[in-house]
Amino acid sequence: MAAIGSRLGGMRSLAWLSIAALAPFLPFLPLSAQQQHPTESQVKAAYLYNFGKFVRWQSDRAGNSDFLICVLGKDPFGALLDATVEGESIDGRKLTVRRIAKVQDGSSCSILYISSSEESQLPSILSAAQHFGELTVSDIPRFAERGGVIGFVVQQDKIRFEVNRGAAGQSHLALSSELLKVASKLYNKAVGQ
Amino acid sequence: MAAPTKSSISTKLTMMNMLVSGAALLLACAGFFAYDQITFRQNLANSLSAQAQIIGSNSISALLFSDPQAASDTLSALKNSPNIASAGILTADARSFAEYTRPGADESLAIPSLSNDQVEDYRFGRTHAVLIRRIQSDGKLLGFVYIRANLHEIDERLWRYALISVVVLMVSLMFALIVSAKFRQSVADPIVALADTARQISRDKDYRVRVAVGGERDELATLIDSFNEMLREIQQRDSELQKAHNELEQRVAQRTQDLLVANRELEAFSYSVSHDLRGPLDAINGFSYLLLKNYAGQLDSNGKDSLQNIRAAARRMSELIDDLLNLSRVTTSTMHREEIDLSAFARSIMEELCREAPERKVDFITPLRVEAYADVRLLRIVMENLLRNAWKYTSHHEHARIEFGEEYGGGRKVYFVRDDGSGFDPRSADRLFQPFQRLHSAVEFPGNGIGLATVGRIVQRHGGEAWAEGSVEKGATFYFTLESRQSGRQSRTS
Repeated sequence: MAAIGSRLGGMRSLAWLSIAALAPFLPFLPLSAQQQHPTESQVKAAYLYNFGKFVRWQSDRAGNSDFLICVLGKDPFGALLDATVEGESIDGRKLTVRRIAKVQDGSSCSILYISSSEESQLPSILSAAQHFGELTVSDIPRFAERGGVIGFVVQQDKIRFEVNRGAAGQSHLALSSELLKVASKLYNKAVGQ
Repeated sequence: MAAPTKSSISTKLTMMNMLVSGAALLLACAGFFAYDQITFRQNLANSLSAQAQIIGSNSISALLFSDPQAASDTLSALKNSPNIASAGILTADARSFAEYTRPGADESLAIPSLSNDQVEDYRFGRTHAVLIRRIQSDGKLLGFVYIRANLHEIDERLWRYALISVVVLMVSLMFALIVSAKFRQSVADPIVALADTARQISRDKDYRVRVAVGGERDELATLIDSFNEMLREIQQRDSELQKAHNELEQRVAQRTQDLLVANRELEAFSYSVSHDLRGPLDAINGFSYLLLKNYAGQLDSNGKDSLQNIRAAARRMSELIDDLLNLSRVTTSTMHREEIDLSAFARSIMEELCREAPERKVDFITPLRVEAYADVRLLRIVMENLLRNAWKYTSHHEHARIEFGEEYGGGRKVYFVRDDGSGFDPRSADRLFQPFQRLHSAVEFPGNGIGLATVGRIVQRHGGEAWAEGSVEKGATFYFTLESRQSGRQSRTS
């Protein structure tokens, strides 16, 4: 196949040939990549898990316990999130999803997704999460600007995210520059300021 | 033998040097270039791999969070690498995610496909090379990064190598030329000198010549030494031969001189003896004559016979002494050669003989004129001896025939006296010209054996030779030659 590709010119046919060449391996690709038009929830669920890879987690939180992704408030993902993290791990810790009603219930969470339903209590939640050293993520508008660490935004029909480095610092989270590089906007504000 | 030109060996040596060094250099250059090509390709592949790794790991977040802009930013860092023509990131399902193309770059080298267990692969085309590498995170395939690099540098290197090779080749050939000039001094020149000397010697036969030996003790020097040694030996033998020859000549000259002296002494002795013998002989002859004349009456017939015998013996002895004195004179007297007519001599001698014995019937045949360049007196003796001999040995024949003439044989003039007399035994022919040698008894034919010896001696003095042919009762022919006028003038007269 490679030989055929080298004979045919042009980028367009080349792309097709490349796809054809990769076709046998497609069943091994992650679910998100397999589907041509992933839903917004699917993308967000994948991002939620991927964020964990770009944070240097404090070692005392490690141990042998599971890596918890907690959903606070009304869960927009449903089983989708569980399916996404199924069998995955971060820093050698097994990924587990937990739904919590109060922020205090999630003291052992690493990533805390704050549902839009909790917007009214945002300052207290953020304060608690900061105390627990959690990476806060939310769909709430201007979330990062308001003191959250990572806030989803939609730009040109694509899911992007904003990052507040100040908030991350207050939670003693070291974010990878790779993550900051792909953020649509960076803030450097501490909570309550 | 064609003379080899001086340049042949030198040229061959120079050509050999140039060819060997040129070939070695070209091979070395080719080897270095091939090695450089391989190394360069390997290095390029390594470099592309490293860049792909960096781009790949810097694009993980962009792929994970679907941010092509971030990937493009990462790729745009490649604009600092002038040899990168294009690069790109593909998603895991091989869709184009981000691309970078260098302005002006146009290439179409296909991206190779990766099999399941391959992390990266690369391919070299004629003008470009392409490398593709997986982007993975935590063991999961996120996408691919590919980089195309143009190979202008390879061409540049090729040209640079060619230029360097040409320069080095020129310098090396110059160097080879200089070295071969040096070698010519130590190899070709001695050979050429050797050949020249050998040619000169074979032409001039001068064995004193030597070939100069160079400073180096190599096979050539040995060859030259051997050649010189050979020459020395030849020269030595030559001089020994010359020395022996000279000694021999000297000895011969000495012996000749000794012989001459001895001969003169002998002749002087025989002359004086002959001369001194004459006195007593004349006394014997005179007194026996007086005795016979004055006392004939007192002697009986026996006494008279004895006296007659004494007188006959005395007369014979007187003749013998005359002949001996003649022989001696012939040997020692000085010669005055001139043009003479031998035929005239022969006729006057024959007339004289006919007067002495008018009763004999002899036919004498001779040409009108037989010329010779010789001493008149000596040749008269020769003719007299030969004709008297012929006369004498035909005396028993009632009718004889005597012939004198000349003929040509072996490029020279040969005179002959031929008779049809009693001849001689051919086995004794070589004794004829020796003194006192007689083939017939004195009773049969009177004589003392000096005549032909005298003839031989005179002919010899004239630079000629004498010989005889004949057989018993079949006659005899006496031949003699004389040195011709031309050769007589050329050789020295004695």
